[in-house]
Amino acid sequence: MTDTTGNLEALMRQSLAGDQRAYAALLQETSRLLRPFLAKRLNFTNEVDDVLQEILISIHKARHTYDGNRPYKPWVYAIAKFRLQDYLRAHYSDQLRHADDLSEMEEYLHEDVTKPAISYESISGEVQKLPNKQATILRLMHQEGYTAKEVAEQIGMNESAVKVSAHRAYKILRQRLENGKLER
Amino acid sequence: MGNIDELISKLAQDTATVKRAPHPFMLSIEWMVVAAFYLAVSLMISNARHDLLLKLHDPWFAAEIAALAGIFISTSLSAALLSYPDLYQKRRIAFAPIVTFALFVLVIFLAWQADNPPAPLPAHSFECTISITLVALLPAAWTFYVMRKFASTHTHWAGGIAFLFAFSIGALWLRLYEQNDSIVHVIEWHYLPMLGFGIIGMWLGKKVLKW
Repeated sequence: MTDTTGNLEALMRQSLAGDQRAYAALLQETSRLLRPFLAKRLNFTNEVDDVLQEILISIHKARHTYDGNRPYKPWVYAIAKFRLQDYLRAHYSDQLRHADDLSEMEEYLHEDVTKPAISYESISGEVQKLPNKQATILRLMHQEGYTAKEVAEQIGMNESAVKVSAHRAYKILRQRLENGKLER
Repeated sequence: MGNIDELISKLAQDTATVKRAPHPFMLSIEWMVVAAFYLAVSLMISNARHDLLLKLHDPWFAAEIAALAGIFISTSLSAALLSYPDLYQKRRIAFAPIVTFALFVLVIFLAWQADNPPAPLPAHSFECTISITLVALLPAAWTFYVMRKFASTHTHWAGGIAFLFAFSIGALWLRLYEQNDSIVHVIEWHYLPMLGFGIIGMWLGKKVLKW
C-alpha cells in the first residue's frame, strides 16, 4: 500500500476544484485513516461503520471550510472527534433511558425473588404474549442487547417509534405482573 | 465496508465547485466593520452623550471604553475562528477573549476604586439592560446567521462568544450614549447582564449552530 497521506492536502485542493476522482481517493484515504481511530474508541464494528459514515458526510458538508493551505489532518480529526462525541453522547443517554426502564421492572422483580411464580421465564412468557412487534423489540433490546437505534435499523422503524413501542410494552407487562401478583 | 464504499462514490458524485469560506480574519474584519457602522448609526439616531469628548479625557472612562473595544475585537476574532471545525488551527488566538476580559475586569476594578466619593446612582436600573439587549439583538442574530454557514465543532463556545461580541456592541453604545458616571450602576446593569447573556449564548449556540 502506498503512503498517500502526504498528498491529502493536494487531493482536497483538487476535490474543491471539482475533481471527482481526487475526492473519492481523498475520502477513501480519510476512512482508512479514521478507522483505527474509531476502532480504539468504539466496541463494535457496526458502530465504527456508522460513525465513519456520519464523519464522511460531515466532511462533505464542511468541505468549504477547508482552503487547502493548512494541514488536512487536524481539520479532519476535529470533525471526527466532534461526530464521535455526538454519537457517544446519544448512545449513553439512550443507555441511561433503558437503564431507567429496566429499573422500573426490577421494582417488581426483586420483591418476588424467592418466589418461583415470577421468574425470568414467566416474564419471558408474558413477553411472548405481547403483540409480535413489541415482543421482537423487547427481545432484541433486552435479550440480545441492541440499542433502540440498532433495533430501529433492523426492523425498519424509526428510533422514537421503537422507544414508544418498548415503553408501551413495559406498561402492559407491568399491569400483567401486578394483576398476577394480586391473583396470587 | 460496502456501505462506506457506496457512500464515498455517492459523495464523490456531488463535487460541484464549492465556494470556499473566507479566511477567519477577513470574516472577523467584515463583522467588525459592519458592527462599527451599526454602532455609529445607533449613536447618530440616539445622540451620543453631550459630554463625551470631555469624558474621554477621564483616564478611567477612556480605559473602560478601550477595554470594551478590546472585548469587541477579540470576541469577533474568536467567534470567526470558532466557526471553523479546527479553529483554523489558530487555537491560541481563539482564547484571546480571556486576556481581554481579564484586562477589562482589572480596569473596572481600578475605576471602581478610583470612584471616590462614589458618583450618584442614576434613577433607572434594568432599563439599561433592556436597551443593551435591544441594540445587541440584531448583531447577535446576524452573527449566528453567518456562523451557521460554517461548521463549528465548539458550538456552545461559538454561541457564547458570538453573544458577547453582539452584547459588547450594545454595551459600547450605551456607555457612549448614557449620561451616567456611576461605575456601580454600570457593573450591575451593563456588564454583569452582558456576561449572563454570554451564558445564554452558549446554550443557544448548542441548539442553533448544530450541523
